[in-house]
Amino acid sequence: MPTEYSVPSDVQQITRRALPIGVVLLAACAVGGYFNPDQFFHSYLLAYIFVLNITLGCLALVMVQHLSGGNWGVMTRRLLEAGSRTIPLMAVLFIPVALGIHSLYVWSHPDVVASDINVREKAAYLNQTAFIVRAVVYFICWWAVAHFLNKWSLEQDRTGDPAVGRKLQRLSGGGLVLYGITMTFAVTDWLMSLQPHWYSTIFGMIFMAGQGLSGFSFVIAALWWLAKREPLKSLLSSRQLIDLGNLMLAFVILWTYTSFSQFLLIWVGNLPEEIVFYLPRFRHGWQAVGILLVLFHFAVPFLLLLHRSIKGKLARIGALAIALVAFRWLDIYWLVAPAEHVNLHLSWMDIAAPLALGGIWLATWARTLQGRPLLPLRDPQLAQALQYGHHASH
Amino acid sequence: MAVVERPPVIGPGHDFETVSKAISEIVLTRKTPLGWVFGFLMAFTFMMIFLMTATYLFLKGVGIWGINIPVAWGFAIVNFVWWIGIGHAGTLISAILLLLHQKWRMSISRFAEAMTLFAVACAGMFPLLHMGRPWLFYWMFPYPNTMTVWPQFRSPLVWDVFAVSTYATVSLVFWYVGLIPDVATLRDRAKSPFARKAFGILSLGWRGSARHWFRYETASLLLAGLATPLVVSVHTVVSFDFAVAIVPGWHTTIFPPYFVAGAIYSGFAMVLTLAIPLRAAYRLEDFVTMWHLDVMAKVMLTTGLILAYGYGCEVFYAWYSADTFERYMMWNRMFGPYAVAYWALIATNIVIPQLLWFKKVRTNVPLLFFVSLVVNTGMWLERYVIVITSLHRDFLVSSWGRYAPTVWDWATFTGTIGLFLTLFFLFIRFLPMISIVEMRTLLPQAGVKGKEAH
Repeated sequence: MPTEYSVPSDVQQITRRALPIGVVLLAACAVGGYFNPDQFFHSYLLAYIFVLNITLGCLALVMVQHLSGGNWGVMTRRLLEAGSRTIPLMAVLFIPVALGIHSLYVWSHPDVVASDINVREKAAYLNQTAFIVRAVVYFICWWAVAHFLNKWSLEQDRTGDPAVGRKLQRLSGGGLVLYGITMTFAVTDWLMSLQPHWYSTIFGMIFMAGQGLSGFSFVIAALWWLAKREPLKSLLSSRQLIDLGNLMLAFVILWTYTSFSQFLLIWVGNLPEEIVFYLPRFRHGWQAVGILLVLFHFAVPFLLLLHRSIKGKLARIGALAIALVAFRWLDIYWLVAPAEHVNLHLSWMDIAAPLALGGIWLATWARTLQGRPLLPLRDPQLAQALQYGHHASH
Repeated sequence: MAVVERPPVIGPGHDFETVSKAISEIVLTRKTPLGWVFGFLMAFTFMMIFLMTATYLFLKGVGIWGINIPVAWGFAIVNFVWWIGIGHAGTLISAILLLLHQKWRMSISRFAEAMTLFAVACAGMFPLLHMGRPWLFYWMFPYPNTMTVWPQFRSPLVWDVFAVSTYATVSLVFWYVGLIPDVATLRDRAKSPFARKAFGILSLGWRGSARHWFRYETASLLLAGLATPLVVSVHTVVSFDFAVAIVPGWHTTIFPPYFVAGAIYSGFAMVLTLAIPLRAAYRLEDFVTMWHLDVMAKVMLTTGLILAYGYGCEVFYAWYSADTFERYMMWNRMFGPYAVAYWALIATNIVIPQLLWFKKVRTNVPLLFFVSLVVNTGMWLERYVIVITSLHRDFLVSSWGRYAPTVWDWATFTGTIGLFLTLFFLFIRFLPMISIVEMRTLLPQAGVKGKEAH
């Protein structure tokens, strides 16, 4: 009979603390939204994308680890799976975004469509019905993939049948393809169309790199909390942390590479439909946010993550992971806020709304996590993963 | 609970002696296999075609090619990108997979690195020939001169000069450093005094002392670290060659990652194209196992899907841009005069490789060989479609035109294939095509504690 590896019981504390904070802040934002709906919807979109990045980052990484194997996947799988089970919550939380179409997206205004030929040309894609229908399709796809990933993972716990592992691999292969396609369209709908003239073919890829980073940062931050408690306290080795740190580093680099490619090519081309993205973000104070991103979304974490002394220590890598979660917020802020404000502007709701949704999401995640053992009990790689790093040489 | 055993990366029943013998015998035997002689002669014939066309080109100038205005960049850039892309798999296998501790890389890294070197050599031919006066190639470098000639540093073509020459240098050094202990093994095993002398000089006095090994390992790791960014940077710069221009079909932000994925895709296809006949001809199935072929096929499937994603983004955003020229470019690609090339590209690069989802295909050697050839063709077509369809009809209808390669274009291209194969045949005859040293480390005996070691 395998060991239980049950989730530490005080995980309930996370739910108990995070939920009230989230609900109170959301209520405060709702009051703020009554007085300033445009600002509310922009802040809410920022918050929503920020949390969705962690959710879908978890979903994508579950599939990546099924396909790639590796010890990091076994150790983090249950945390990632719990993240992917919050997709129904994210679907519900999408409702305010749908209600805010008029505040958020100029292409939803008939007079703009009538006067702007560029927007009119895209009306077959950028219209309210299609926007809602597509969103429903995305959530059905994501939820379906997450549902079977979780269901079969539990089945593996019960039976240990190797066929289940193969089933999970096949689903992950197809699921990642589906994720790539739906995510690209979703980010086109929700973020790119904030400036309907603008387009960039790499945008979906930048975003998926960012989601991978969100997923890893969240999981490492969660491990920081969990590894102070049994059972992970005695199971997690510093070599496993170093592997996770390296993967986080890889996503920092991938995000930078794709973002820089977009910047260089649009800047050098300087075409009217493309440069509209960078022009507002390079003046009126917004350039400071861009510089902060270069420094703290790339340079500093990149340099820190090169060092084993940082990757191998739980407190250090955990703190860095939390900082990266925060800088993921800054990245989305830089995408969303300049579409509304000409001058650098930080509303209190830009901070309160992400904390609100973040609190609600974290509470749900912690509750979801409790339902299952903390490690996949009959994953064929479990024994190897548990040994990994606890023997001297390699 | 059972620990999953990875499939073995080396066939059963080998020891240090049999490994050294199996690999070094291919080089040290006095009898050259007839197949080798035949293959070499074929390759050499094509290389002669290359030399002939190059000679004629120097006499007449680039007018013998099909290029003209508006398609001023034809086969030369298509073939340059194709060859340089192929090289990338070698660097990925030897550098990135070394840093990731992937043991399966060991048996294929040597000849994949050789493939890189020869592919880069073939790639380098095209810009040199396209210059018209290749003996003045050094004008591309920023050196003090009295002509006030200075490279335009804002042009990615100048970045290419540095990217590709760095790439060639690092690849050569990496490959040679890796060869040293093996060449020393050949020196020790060789019977003929000439071979002993030649391998002796090449082995740089390697005696296998602990200090030699320590330095060898350090140098390998450092070179792997240096080569890793090159896997991405070289093809990123190549993609910039196109993407910084505002020509529809060239100027698109997804080009850098899409070019890198395509390079690795074509590179792995070429590794399979070379590995499958080699392992059969020289009975190397114990070293290049089915598992190797399976993993390489999976890498191809993954990078191929990234490429498919790139094609999809190009099509969708061409429409979404609502830009007349972008939309026309895509329509022209699909239904214009070069539509056949576009749909052939979709079939060869996207549709047929989906067979690799099936394990039955990945482990069916002839079928896998076929898919690898299909992908090699597809990746060439991709560059052809990108270069030709974007240039031949751009903004002004009055300056539209057509492009057709001439017989000299084809002769130059097939000639470089001859050059590549000639170099490759010489390599497998005179140097160990699989790293003897690394294969020895895969044996169970290599772990001091045997199976207990981690």
